[in-house]
Amino acid sequence: MSRERSPQVIAAEGLARQGQTQAAVSACYDALAIDDRDAFAHALLAELMLEGDFYDEAITAATQAIELDPDCSPAYLALGLAYDRRGGMWDQSVLVWHELAEVTPDLVTAHVQLGEAFAAAAFEEEAVESWRHALELDPKQARAHYNLAIAALMREGMATALPSFHTAGELDPSQDEFFFALLGLPAEDVVIDSGRVKPEREARLVSAEMLARQEDFFGASELVRLLLDADPADADALALAAYVYLKQEATSEAMACALRALAFAPELPTALYTLGVVYSRWPGLARHAVRVFAALSKAAPQHSLAHVLLGESLLGLQRYGQAKRAYVKAIRLDPACVRARFGLAAVRLTEGAYAEARWEMRRAAYYDTKRQGLFWRLWDAYAEGGEV
Amino acid sequence: MPDDEASRLFQAFVAQDPASAIQVVERVRSGGVAQADLFDTLYVPAVSFLGGAWAEGAIDEVTFTQASVVAEQIASFVMPPLARPDTGVTLVAGVMHRDHHTVMKDIVVATLKEAGYRVNDLGVDVRPADFLERVEETGARVVLVFAEIMAQARSVARVREMLESQGHDDVVMLVCGGPFAADPALARAVGANGLIASAEGALRVLERVRADVLNGGAR
Repeated sequence: MSRERSPQVIAAEGLARQGQTQAAVSACYDALAIDDRDAFAHALLAELMLEGDFYDEAITAATQAIELDPDCSPAYLALGLAYDRRGGMWDQSVLVWHELAEVTPDLVTAHVQLGEAFAAAAFEEEAVESWRHALELDPKQARAHYNLAIAALMREGMATALPSFHTAGELDPSQDEFFFALLGLPAEDVVIDSGRVKPEREARLVSAEMLARQEDFFGASELVRLLLDADPADADALALAAYVYLKQEATSEAMACALRALAFAPELPTALYTLGVVYSRWPGLARHAVRVFAALSKAAPQHSLAHVLLGESLLGLQRYGQAKRAYVKAIRLDPACVRARFGLAAVRLTEGAYAEARWEMRRAAYYDTKRQGLFWRLWDAYAEGGEV
Repeated sequence: MPDDEASRLFQAFVAQDPASAIQVVERVRSGGVAQADLFDTLYVPAVSFLGGAWAEGAIDEVTFTQASVVAEQIASFVMPPLARPDTGVTLVAGVMHRDHHTVMKDIVVATLKEAGYRVNDLGVDVRPADFLERVEETGARVVLVFAEIMAQARSVARVREMLESQGHDDVVMLVCGGPFAADPALARAVGANGLIASAEGALRVLERVRADVLNGGAR
């Protein structure tokens, strides 16, 4: 059964979704002036306060919402994030994430956050258990893998942590997005019928790239074959073939195509990317991966992920200072890059800078939940009267 | 050599003949190419030829896949050596008595082990006498003491006293931890020969210790 929202709350919600924070806050206060026992208004106010970095106000509003309705899941999210970002309130934070995990047991992020709160409070085993539970719910939860990598680093050093960093990185949707950003594909997807693509190189190439993005690897391969039949030295087609093979776990084929592409275009970013990823999967090729990703970060310096990949490969060579510079560059380009934040946290740990490492992880958590639009998902589910 | 042999390796891949592929690798290795260089000089060109043959349509998709499987099987024969060479330097490492902070110790010890140092990790809450005992057991000439609490950082002086009392004046004592990073003078005050601020810093300091104190030799 859906929960009733007042017209003032609906207005505030509309403004908040449009990013008009100040007007949304005013609308929330209008709603509370009419009914100060409106859990929706308090929960939304908490989120808006959090957005503006007013942590104490966010805590007050979220607490109020939960008191009015203990099932108000978006308020738990705002409260937990406010505790985490305020810092020094780990015991309360653990309780809140625990509550949220109970209110919405299938919400993976709640378990990831609970683990992070446990870790911050130095309950390492409980933290690892929470992340493992998150991975049981969603084996592709990249942030849980990043956290496990950090935990492994703290217990057993970088060599043990690195495979988890790589796993997390490959699960992270940003990695595929990066490849397509290197291609310069338009953001919107177009439905492609591979049988009706114009017999011209550009049309075939763009269509193959679109199909690869839509994970129609069979269709993409067909078009790549046509491109290579026309010109076996087509470096772009070879690089795309390499990516398609890589996505199908055929690393040797991917390497063969990427190397061939680089024979014709030695600085082609897409081929460098695929070759670097192949090399980074082989522990003995850390030095090679560094070389390739260094070339990639020079060929595509505007992409934060190019620097992240370089940073990760440098970790494998114990060149932490250089890795730090690469991660800092990545964060400068994209402050919301979760993967760079965790990588930088790892480097900071090797420097004994625990507080700074935790800070980076907290920022990563903030950006990750924001990227997922989690508050609005919980809000909508709460309004509908159901679970996420 | 390389192009001919790379071409033969490529032929072996296409023929799905791992035995011939291994023979090529062994021949090149016995011809004087170091293990660390086999991947770049032999394997990379052969795999590139494979990509070229597929792109040109000289081999079909099935052959490409099967040849790639052989290439993957052969990869372990051409990989650069994974482990770094043993430095021959033995270290004793541990966290000072009444201190249970493990993180920095674990990270630094793992980094040093990976870099080829022989590390005797005594764990946490290590008494000065335990450092001495292990130095005498192993003949180590480097001791690495971790302390994250001020009182324990000050008490590292007892490790130096203990070593000197038994005539181990030549043992290099390095310290690591927040109090030392905040006040490097404290490291000197407790009789440390050097301060380690990070895992990478540990590698740099140990490299200098090897060169200056141990004259590049073991122990």
